[in-house]
Amino acid sequence: MNNWQQFKKMFMTQLKLTLREKQAWFWGIFFPVILMVIFMVIFSDNSDDEFKTEVAIVKEHPNPTSDMLFTQLSQLPILEVKSDKPVSRKQAEKWVKNKTVDAAIVFPETEGGGQFLILVNKEEEQGVTTQVISSVLDKFVQQANLSAVGATPSFDVQFQSISSGNANLSYTDFLLTGMIALSIAQGGMFGMVDLVEMRRKGLIKRLRMTPANMGIFGLSDMIMRLLFSIVQILLLSLIGVFIFGANLYINYLSLAIVFLFGALSFNALGYFISSISTTPNAYMGIANIFSFLMMFLSGIFFPIETMPEWLVPVSKVLPLTYFAEGLRDSMVYETGVMSSTLWFGIGILVIWGALSFIAGSLLYKRKSIVATR
Amino acid sequence: MTVLEVKHLKKSFGSIEAVRDISFSVNAGEVFTIIGPNGAGKTTTLEMIEGLVPPDQGEIRFQDLTWDKDAVAIKKKIGVQPQSSAMFDLLTPKENLDLFATFYDQPKSTEEILELINLTEHRNNLVKQLSGGQRQRLAIGLAMISNPEILFLDEPTTGLDPQARRNIWDIILQLKSLGKTIILTTHYMEEAEKLSDRVCIVDQGNIVTLDSPSSLIEKLTKEREVSLSFHDEKTTIEAEHFSKNLDSVIRTEREDTTLKLWTMKPEDSLHDLFQFTKENDYHVEQVSIREMSLEDVFIAYTGKEWRD
Repeated sequence: MNNWQQFKKMFMTQLKLTLREKQAWFWGIFFPVILMVIFMVIFSDNSDDEFKTEVAIVKEHPNPTSDMLFTQLSQLPILEVKSDKPVSRKQAEKWVKNKTVDAAIVFPETEGGGQFLILVNKEEEQGVTTQVISSVLDKFVQQANLSAVGATPSFDVQFQSISSGNANLSYTDFLLTGMIALSIAQGGMFGMVDLVEMRRKGLIKRLRMTPANMGIFGLSDMIMRLLFSIVQILLLSLIGVFIFGANLYINYLSLAIVFLFGALSFNALGYFISSISTTPNAYMGIANIFSFLMMFLSGIFFPIETMPEWLVPVSKVLPLTYFAEGLRDSMVYETGVMSSTLWFGIGILVIWGALSFIAGSLLYKRKSIVATR
Repeated sequence: MTVLEVKHLKKSFGSIEAVRDISFSVNAGEVFTIIGPNGAGKTTTLEMIEGLVPPDQGEIRFQDLTWDKDAVAIKKKIGVQPQSSAMFDLLTPKENLDLFATFYDQPKSTEEILELINLTEHRNNLVKQLSGGQRQRLAIGLAMISNPEILFLDEPTTGLDPQARRNIWDIILQLKSLGKTIILTTHYMEEAEKLSDRVCIVDQGNIVTLDSPSSLIEKLTKEREVSLSFHDEKTTIEAEHFSKNLDSVIRTEREDTTLKLWTMKPEDSLHDLFQFTKENDYHVEQVSIREMSLEDVFIAYTGKEWRD
């Protein structure tokens, strides 16, 4: 039979094997989706919420000025006034002590001016919340002072965040691209377990006894794996965009290149793992070590910059770091194929892939005699 | 006509000499069995012939074809059944056969093979749901799909229950009747005796002996074991005493009312013994001559006990 027909038949075989392998579905599709949904629910929702803190207000000597200040203060979106009205100092101190409120703000006793007092729990003295409340109150008091003398401020500070590319990069986009990178990498690293199983069962040997073209067999396997990864990209992107509102600006050519080199490189890594493991369990163990190392050190869930400084060099050699960055560049920043950073990352991926493939092939060659018992 | 000839095959794995010196030739249409204990070198020999392992020394010829020059031609000519598990578990028997069929120019029809290996009923079940015997039959079917001239079956019945084993024997005999040349390895003596035209006994990487099962047995020493059971112990003792004085009898052994004797001429010994019992009006309850089997051949040639 000619090569094309052999390819078609082998591809159909690979398709059936993949569709019937429940593990592939779980680890390749279900697991990344669940992981992504969990992370997005936990982290991206919070980033939309405003920072809020609960305080108690003590105003034991009511007068028109302090009434007005109280109204203004309680309108600040960042502060939530416990029980919506002033309370006694005693009550406030009790709340601070048992941490019912983050702080208590004590108004000055006289109408013309005086000190605002912030009461905080000793444990929270250096906390972020305390600092925020203190600076908010500081600003508020300044404003009050200015308006008391009838002046308008000449300078003002406005805060705006800028990311290196698209202004819309949010945690959702970051996580989505990271998850896509992770699931393709895992697909490659875990997927080659079939090879161990096939070798253990003597199936590879069996195929070698036929005139079958093993190159075509390998090719059909590879194409099936790439297709599976494309399904992963599509599924994760759809969930990210339609459920969690991710914003993607895709440069398709860059994406295709990064995807191809990344997927091939991680499959080569899986191939290497298969060459050093004799049983599927051993394979899974080794693949898990690789996978966990990379999952947390390659900037999948959180940017590398947030890691301790001494760990950064480690992540700078891991292939997943560059794969995730490449996917972010091509899917979120719309980076074109002329970018040198893109090709630097691809270069690292190719080095990993080539070394894994060569080492794996050499090991297979050396073992081929022993493997025939 | 010789379809396969191997000469002075030799193979070592590290310091282990798996095959030391093996030569034989196989004729068209015969069932040629290689038998020997585990580790005797059967599988290595077969794998060298199948082109999987290059021999350190020696020559393998399929008529005028050799692995060096005609690998593809040989692969089309032979069918190999290595182990039951060497197939796709997540495909059905039909899908496995269909896939293997695409590797060859003129495969047999899948339906025909399914019929031959008696799996038509299970053709659409996944292989992983099949029993050991069914898988083994499928492995033979996969070897058959190319309609090969020569079939290699490596321990096709190992680990199967007696019924499943008999099914495989039927298939092998059927293949033989189709004119296929079959090269079989086994470590079941009974199987070798039943199926083979010629048996090659291998031990420690060498051929110990090679011939048809019946001539191998015939070649063995003519000493046969005869046992007789009598009515009571007294009679048995007398019969033992009588047979000890016969020229043909080498030695005797008695246990309760059973007498065992080893003789070079069982016909003569029995004739004399029966004359004796008839004259004295002794009643013989059971008589048997133990049949010689390949197992005895093996023990005689290697000095080892046979272990299945």
